[in-house]
Amino acid sequence: MILDPLILVTAGVCLLAGVGLYGLLASRNLIKLIVAMQILTKAAVLALVAAGAASGRINLSQSLAITVIVVDTVVAAVGLALGVQVRKRFGSLDAANLASLRR
Amino acid sequence: MTITIPLLLIALPLAGSPLAYLAGRAARSPFLARWTARLILLMTWIPWILLMRESQTAHTVNPFFTLQDLTLSIDGLSLLISGVTLALATLVAFYSGAYIKGEEGEEKYYALLLSLTGAIIGLGCAVDLLNLWLWFEAMTVSTLFLVAFYRKEQASLEAGVKYLVQSAAGSALILLGIALVFGTTGTLSLPDLPGILANNPNKLVLMASGALFITGFGIKAALVPLHTWLPDAHAQAPSGISAMLSGVVIEAGLIALLRVLLPLAFLSGIWGPILLGAGALNMLLGNLLALRQTQVKRMLAFSSLAHIGYMLLGIGAAMAFLQPAAMSGAFFHLITHMLMKGLAFLAVGALLHALFLSRGHHAHLTVADLNGAATRYPLAAGCLATALLALGGLPPLAGFMSKWQIFLGAAQTLNPWILGLVVFAALNSVLSLAYYAPVVNAMYRKEPSDAVREGNPVAFSMAAPLAVMAILVILLGVVPTLAAPLSTAAADVFAALGVTNGMVP
Repeated sequence: MILDPLILVTAGVCLLAGVGLYGLLASRNLIKLIVAMQILTKAAVLALVAAGAASGRINLSQSLAITVIVVDTVVAAVGLALGVQVRKRFGSLDAANLASLRR
Repeated sequence: MTITIPLLLIALPLAGSPLAYLAGRAARSPFLARWTARLILLMTWIPWILLMRESQTAHTVNPFFTLQDLTLSIDGLSLLISGVTLALATLVAFYSGAYIKGEEGEEKYYALLLSLTGAIIGLGCAVDLLNLWLWFEAMTVSTLFLVAFYRKEQASLEAGVKYLVQSAAGSALILLGIALVFGTTGTLSLPDLPGILANNPNKLVLMASGALFITGFGIKAALVPLHTWLPDAHAQAPSGISAMLSGVVIEAGLIALLRVLLPLAFLSGIWGPILLGAGALNMLLGNLLALRQTQVKRMLAFSSLAHIGYMLLGIGAAMAFLQPAAMSGAFFHLITHMLMKGLAFLAVGALLHALFLSRGHHAHLTVADLNGAATRYPLAAGCLATALLALGGLPPLAGFMSKWQIFLGAAQTLNPWILGLVVFAALNSVLSLAYYAPVVNAMYRKEPSDAVREGNPVAFSMAAPLAVMAILVILLGVVPTLAAPLSTAAADVFAALGVTNGMVP
């Protein structure tokens, strides 16, 4: 049986998104949270490329993917900068410490 | 590419942002950064006014940048959000002079304020999915720095991290939604979408993308189960930025959501009821949670949830029953909410600065600290009282007029469910007075607290923007037609789409 590449890619997107969401919900370390965010966004990038292939506009979708990766890196850099500050002021990267503000 | 007037509207604040930073750095004093930012913002009014005059003579959507599917265009919605943003940003730039003076990284504050303004204006002009996402991320990154501006305070960092994680999750969901639309329709352009949707077999996939958009943009627009970042961010940011967040940024999320949902409305009529449901939740939870707050800025943050709820009521009723009057009411409320909530946050900020910040400690301003504030700070207290009563919807202030227009527009649908929701919203509006009134009472009728007795005076540069906004809040309440060109032009975008494409409810 020959698998349709699109199905394979879709499965990949679901897997990556699942891993990303799980990481986002389960990890308490700030660095791991940022890694999880990256994985989640990479799922979306893969989905964009697959969407381009499915609709026959692969050129546009490739340039989209590169743009998204660039923007995503900016967000990650900002997140890491925030992590540096958190480590300085709180003494740890544990997100559980970041719960002083309540409803 | 030639430089056109709409391009200037976006490019001026964006180009001004590094300029303000470099000017502040080169001169080794924030003075230059401050005035660069103020002048750039004042200059940006020129293209906006020119575009506004042009739009009144010719009612056409007018794309000024195209590259394949990517389009930026000027229409009623972009004029509305850019005008509202510019107005608040200009006032905040003047207000922040005294508020942020002496803080570390003042030049960065002004640079980021400019880039935030530019990003929201760009978001307003975006009519394709990728542009929408890009400007949205630009807005998120600028606000992220500003929320965590007091980087030595633990609470600010905590608010920043919460904001970062939730926004990043939201933006990934939006991207997945974009991929679904792009994969099934082969286009990113929103104006082209209705025609393609009409006979598209992948209805289920597109519905899923709509759900992803509501979740993703809903995080930024603070739809209720997704609102948890909002009170922290609003309360911990510098007050000028709290005003921007509450007055413009969450509304920008709402506008972006509206941009993507309007074409999808040709697919299904479910989006209107979903927005109405979210609106009802927002009103109720926002008001109930605001009731138990003792910190004034946190209370105002929760009341923003309720006000997003009123806007959602108008927008949802308009989408579900093709009633443009409700939509223009919602947009009018967007304008007045910017003024009222902006004024409230800036007035609270002026008092916070006078009582605590200028004396060197970062404390939270509680309602008890405001006891008797009217005796020493008549102007700031008067402005805060005006803003709070307007938010509570007392006539003849602006908040009454805009809520009235939403209720009136929604009631015109004559649907019993919507009428019930209107009554519910009106009761909520009364409920909100239960937390606005004690603040006014504390300021005017209680003996001055120690904090008030020992406080420093409010600087003139902070008092002047307050006075301007208070006058506007009263003026819009007495002459609501002043804002009509903006709000009806924005609602026309919706009406035009509905009429020309024969949208079915």
